[in-house]
Amino acid sequence: MTDLAAPTAGAEWPTRPRPRIRSFVIFAALVVFTIYAGREVGFTLSTSWEIWTNPLWEKFWPVPWDWVLTRENVFDPLIETFQIAIVSTIIGCSLAMPISFAMSRLTAPNRPTYYVSKSVMNVVRAVPDLFWAKLLVTAIGIGAFAGAWALSIFSLAVMVKLFSETIDGADPRPLEAAQAAGGRHTPSVRMGVLPTVFPAYVAYALYVFELNIRASIVLGLVGAGGVGRVVEAQRQFFRFDRILGILIIIFCVVFVIEQISVALRRRLV
Amino acid sequence: MANPLNEARIAAGTTLESAEWPEPPVGQRRRRIALATIVLIAVVWSVTGLDVSFDRLLSAPGDAWDIFKRMFPPDFEGEIDRGVLGKVLESVYIAWIGTLIAATISFPLAFLAANNVAPVWIRLPMRQLFNAIRAVPELIVAVILLGVTGLGPWAGALAIGLHSVGTLGKLATEAIESVDEGPTEAVQACGGRWISGMRWGVLPEVLPIVISYWLFRFEINVRVSAVLGMIGAGGVGSELVQQLNFRNFEAVGAVLIITVVVVIVIDTISASVRRRIIQGGTARDDGSREAEALADLTGIRTG
Repeated sequence: MTDLAAPTAGAEWPTRPRPRIRSFVIFAALVVFTIYAGREVGFTLSTSWEIWTNPLWEKFWPVPWDWVLTRENVFDPLIETFQIAIVSTIIGCSLAMPISFAMSRLTAPNRPTYYVSKSVMNVVRAVPDLFWAKLLVTAIGIGAFAGAWALSIFSLAVMVKLFSETIDGADPRPLEAAQAAGGRHTPSVRMGVLPTVFPAYVAYALYVFELNIRASIVLGLVGAGGVGRVVEAQRQFFRFDRILGILIIIFCVVFVIEQISVALRRRLV
Repeated sequence: MANPLNEARIAAGTTLESAEWPEPPVGQRRRRIALATIVLIAVVWSVTGLDVSFDRLLSAPGDAWDIFKRMFPPDFEGEIDRGVLGKVLESVYIAWIGTLIAATISFPLAFLAANNVAPVWIRLPMRQLFNAIRAVPELIVAVILLGVTGLGPWAGALAIGLHSVGTLGKLATEAIESVDEGPTEAVQACGGRWISGMRWGVLPEVLPIVISYWLFRFEINVRVSAVLGMIGAGGVGSELVQQLNFRNFEAVGAVLIITVVVVIVIDTISASVRRRIIQGGTARDDGSREAEALADLTGIRTG
């Protein structure tokens, strides 16, 4: 204690920790990687400014509102988008409930189920969502049906990941009590774990719904139905003014839906 | 031995046997029924709108399974000859450059959006800007940029960069807002300028969290850049679309497997680096990815 209280005259500064060689090596490697990646991607400072002064931007204006604000051009495809999102959220989330319980260490009925479901779901999640869409479009034909399938698979994968981790963190004691009282596996999980994690389930379902709304907008770019189909068609014709109009509509609708969903989730969690 | 609760019951004239279960509150039940009805109506409406015939519904899993079977055995040699590894790497480069662009743009802006740094008239517009950017999907940004720049990886990187500014900015803002005020005050008490307070008071505390967000975003962006290739923005997506259009399913299988392996490897490496940055070398995985995923996509921190 006296050391601390003593005046520091004559006391030396603590030696500053010297950066290790390893840090330099890692830093240098990152810089090299970045430069190489930048070159591969075609990054140059001049191009990043030229983009914004490109005369092509004028093609985005003015927005032809009389074309955009019609049922067949925008609103019907937009409704189809929401229908895809709703159906796939429901399918994905209801399938996710039993699979998540199989995927959590706490509630898995046995070891093999746990490992198999976990590794299958990890692989499913590693495939990007539009890859699923494109695969299913090829398999079962162009249209909203394939899109709903693809999004169901993807929301299942996301939901299972989030929800099974919540179950992992659930309080094990009610489950132990139910088992100690002689309950079989499914009823004990149903009464011992489900009530504590159900609010999280609903919150995640809403969150997956938001994800699906956004994803279903772009599904049409690969032929899986929804409003993206219109964007893709107009892109082929280079009608960027129409695209901008559609995007403004999409943006407003998505923003409103998100605000509603966020408000709902705040109340739940 | 007497149970005080039972004694109280006896005193009140009720015994355990005669005591009834409490009724569930009426409001809750009504709300549940209302919610279930809304969900049901939404589902029926959506299914009818999607024009799903019953036989199509039944044949779809068979068709999907048929395609899946035809992917085996995957044609790795042919795909590697066609340069699929280079294309996967290109996707990774796009994601890296895109994330770096987003990081350099979003970090300074995040200071302007934090309530312990910026005045309210800068802060609010900044936040709305982040929210607005987040609402536009990367693919839509890419569609617009591809029209201007022409096909190529640069449009993809820029699209990823612009979109990620929204989430990264929002998360960095929250990190800055939650710093301890002590170090900044100490710098000011020593007569340091505002910028020194930021440099020595805020930055050291914020940087590890923010870097781990960047890495997390990079993981997501690898998937996104793979997808961006499908609309012509460079990377592995174009290869997948091409082989699918040729109905060359063995090649598709190879592309898918390579992509999945690369994605999983990058996820694993990045997750372990993030863990080291945040918790130090010995910490175990505590499933914090869940909270991060939620925060990344919704902007809500859960804990």
